[in-house]
Amino acid sequence: MVMLDKVQTVRRMCPVIFLLDTSGSMEGAPIGAVNSAIEGVLPELISMNDSNADNEIKVAIMSFDYGANWITGDELVSPEDLKSSWKDVYANGLTAMGAAFKELNQKLSASHGFMQRASGSVAPVLFLLSDGEPTDDYQSNLNTLKQNAWYKVAARVAIGYGESNDDVLREFTGNKETVLHTDNPEDLKKMIRFVAITSSRVASTGSSAVTPNNNPDDNTQNVAIAIQAQGGAPTPTLAPADPDDPF
Amino acid sequence: MANSVRLKKFQQVELADGRTVTVTDKLGEGGQGVVYRVKFDTGEEKALKWYFISYFKEPKKFYNHLAENIKAGAPSAAFIWPEQLTKWIDGESFGYIMDIFPAGYESFSKFLNAKVNFKSVKAMVNAALNIVSAFKSLHNKGYNYQDLNDGNFSINPATGKVLICDNDNVVGHGQYSGVLGKARYMAPEVVRGDKQPDKNTDRYSLAVILFMLLIGDHPLEGMKTNVPALTNKYDKRFFGTQPLFIYDKDNDSNAPVPGLHQNAVTFWKYFPSFIKDAFQQSFSQDSLLNIRGRLLEQDWFNILMRLKSSIVRCPQCGEEIFLESDRETGCSKAHKIKPVGYLNFTKRSNQAVTVPIFKDAVLYDYHVSGSEDFETVAAVIHEKPGKFGLENKSSKSWFVTAPSGQSATKQPGEILVLGLGTKIDFGNNNIATVVAN
Ligand SMILES: [Zn+2]
Repeated sequence: MVMLDKVQTVRRMCPVIFLLDTSGSMEGAPIGAVNSAIEGVLPELISMNDSNADNEIKVAIMSFDYGANWITGDELVSPEDLKSSWKDVYANGLTAMGAAFKELNQKLSASHGFMQRASGSVAPVLFLLSDGEPTDDYQSNLNTLKQNAWYKVAARVAIGYGESNDDVLREFTGNKETVLHTDNPEDLKKMIRFVAITSSRVASTGSSAVTPNNNPDDNTQNVAIAIQAQGGAPTPTLAPADPDDPF
Repeated sequence: MANSVRLKKFQQVELADGRTVTVTDKLGEGGQGVVYRVKFDTGEEKALKWYFISYFKEPKKFYNHLAENIKAGAPSAAFIWPEQLTKWIDGESFGYIMDIFPAGYESFSKFLNAKVNFKSVKAMVNAALNIVSAFKSLHNKGYNYQDLNDGNFSINPATGKVLICDNDNVVGHGQYSGVLGKARYMAPEVVRGDKQPDKNTDRYSLAVILFMLLIGDHPLEGMKTNVPALTNKYDKRFFGTQPLFIYDKDNDSNAPVPGLHQNAVTFWKYFPSFIKDAFQQSFSQDSLLNIRGRLLEQDWFNILMRLKSSIVRCPQCGEEIFLESDRETGCSKAHKIKPVGYLNFTKRSNQAVTVPIFKDAVLYDYHVSGSEDFETVAAVIHEKPGKFGLENKSSKSWFVTAPSGQSATKQPGEILVLGLGTKIDFGNNNIATVVAN
C-alpha cells in the first residue's frame, strides 16, 4: 500500500560524546564499572530514540590515556550499532586530558567533524570521566575548546572518581552542579548511568519540559536542573560485605 | 510515610481521598517525573504519575490546578485523565493516578520514526478524525491543551483509535499553565513571545499534527531550515519570526528537499486538492504571522470526512487512493482515474461535502444523519456495466426525487440507481444531489 509506506521523518542529530579516562589507575573495578555502565546506557538511548521524532541521539566514545583515541571511529554511531559492536575498554597509561580536549575540539565542527548532518544538529552532550590529574597540558587545549561554538551550547557533564581533580572537571563543565564525584566503583556505575541518561534526555528533548531556566540555550544548566529535580546524585550504596576489605 | 523524589517497589502512597495504593513497578520516565504501576488493596491497577517536585515554582498551585481538572472530568473517553491526586504533604513530591495505557496503542512518535505503520489508509484517516474530535470536545469543555505535540498521542495502528496522555497542562480558557511546548509544535506567535498558548495556538499545533500524520514531514521544514546548528536562535526564526510553509502558494523557497523530506516529496501529490487547500490555508503567511484563517476543529472534521469517503481502489492496480470527486486523480503507477460524477451534499461549516461516484465508495452515518459518526457505514456505491447504484445500508428509508419530479422511497437494503440530477433526501434535511463530471 503505497500511501502507507512512509519513511522515518527528518530528525536532527543529538550527539552524545563520552570522553573516558582509561589511565592505568582505572584498572580493575573502576574500568569494569565504566564498561558495564556504558553497556547499560545504550538500550536506554535506543528507547529514547524510538520515542523521539524530533532528534536522534548518536554516540561517540573517546578513551584517553597516553593519547586520545575515538573508540567509535571517525563518525558518530547509532546506539543500536554501538550496542552490537561494543567491546570493553582497558585501562593502561597516563591521563592525556589535554590531548582529549584538543581532539574533541577538532571533531566539534560541522565542516569536517562529527556535526555534519544534512538536517542539522542540536546541542551535543559532552560527558567527561576522569580519575586523576591531567598528565599533559590540559589548560591551553581547554581554553581553545571553550571558544568552540558547539562546546558553548553543549550539555557538559563530568564524573570524578577517586583521585580525580574535580576543579579541572568543573572548569570543563563550567557549572559545578553538573560535576559529580564518587570513590566507590559500584556507585560509579550508577552515577555514569544516571548522568548519561539525564543529560541525553535533556539534550534530545530540548526545553519542552517545564523548566525554570531563563536561558534555554544553556543546556548545562538544564541538566543541572534535571539532576537536582531527581534528587541529585544516586544515593550511595554499601560496599559488598567482605570482612577482609581494608577501609 | 515520607514521599521521596523516587518511589520504591512496595512503597505505599496515600491518595487525597484517604485510600492507599502500593507501587508495584515502574512504567516509564520523562522529564517531569516517573510513572509507576500501582495497585489498590482490591487488586485494581492504575498508573501513578509522580512528579519531580523541584520543577515547579509553585507546586501547590499546580496541585490545585490538577484537582480542578479532576473535578471537571475528562472531555471525552480519548483522554487518559487524572483521576485522583495523592495526598498533599508540604514540601514533598506528589502525583496522581490514572488508567494504565491499554495494549495495542503506539506512540505517535513511533509512527513518525517509521517504527510502526498504519494497517490501512482508513485507519490513518480515522486517526486524524479521532484527534480532531478529541480536541473539539476538549475545547467545547472550555479547556485548551497548551503543549500539544507528537508525544501526547498514542494510536492504534489497526483502527486509528486515539488516546491522549500527558493532560497535566490542560487548562481552562484564559489560564496559562506556564508550559510553552515543543518548538516544532508551538504556534509561531508563542515562539515569538507575542502570546501565551490558547485555543487558537492549539489549532495551529493541531494542523501541524495532522500534516505530520498524513504527509509525514514537518510543514515548516524544507530547504531553508537546513542549517548545521539548531539552537534556540534558529528555532525562533524557523518556527516563529520567519516561518514558511514547505508548500506555500506564493513562495517555494522552503520547498521540501528530496531525500531529506522524502515523505512530503512522495505523498503530498497523492492528497486531494481540498486537503492541500486546507494545509495551505492553515500554514499561510497570514496564519503564521497574523494568526488569521486557521481552521476550526469542525472545519477539519468535515474536510477529513471528505477525505475518508474519497478512499477507493485504483481499478487497474488495486492500490488504495484518494479519489477527487470532480477531477482526474493519478495513482502511484500513474493510472488516471476520474469518476463519472459525485454526490454533492449541503456544505457543512462552509466546507464542501462530496463523495465520488465510484465502485466501493462509502457513505457514513455522518452523511445521512448529520451526526459525527464516521465509522458506521450508511451506504455503499456499486458498479454494474453502464450504471452505478447506492445501497441503503442504514436503518432508515430514503426519499428520492428525479429531475422530472418523479419520486420513490428506498428502504434499507434496497439499491438506488444513481441517475443524473437525482436528489436523495436521507431525512432531517440531509440531502445529496447526483452531479455529473
Ligand atoms: Zn493504479
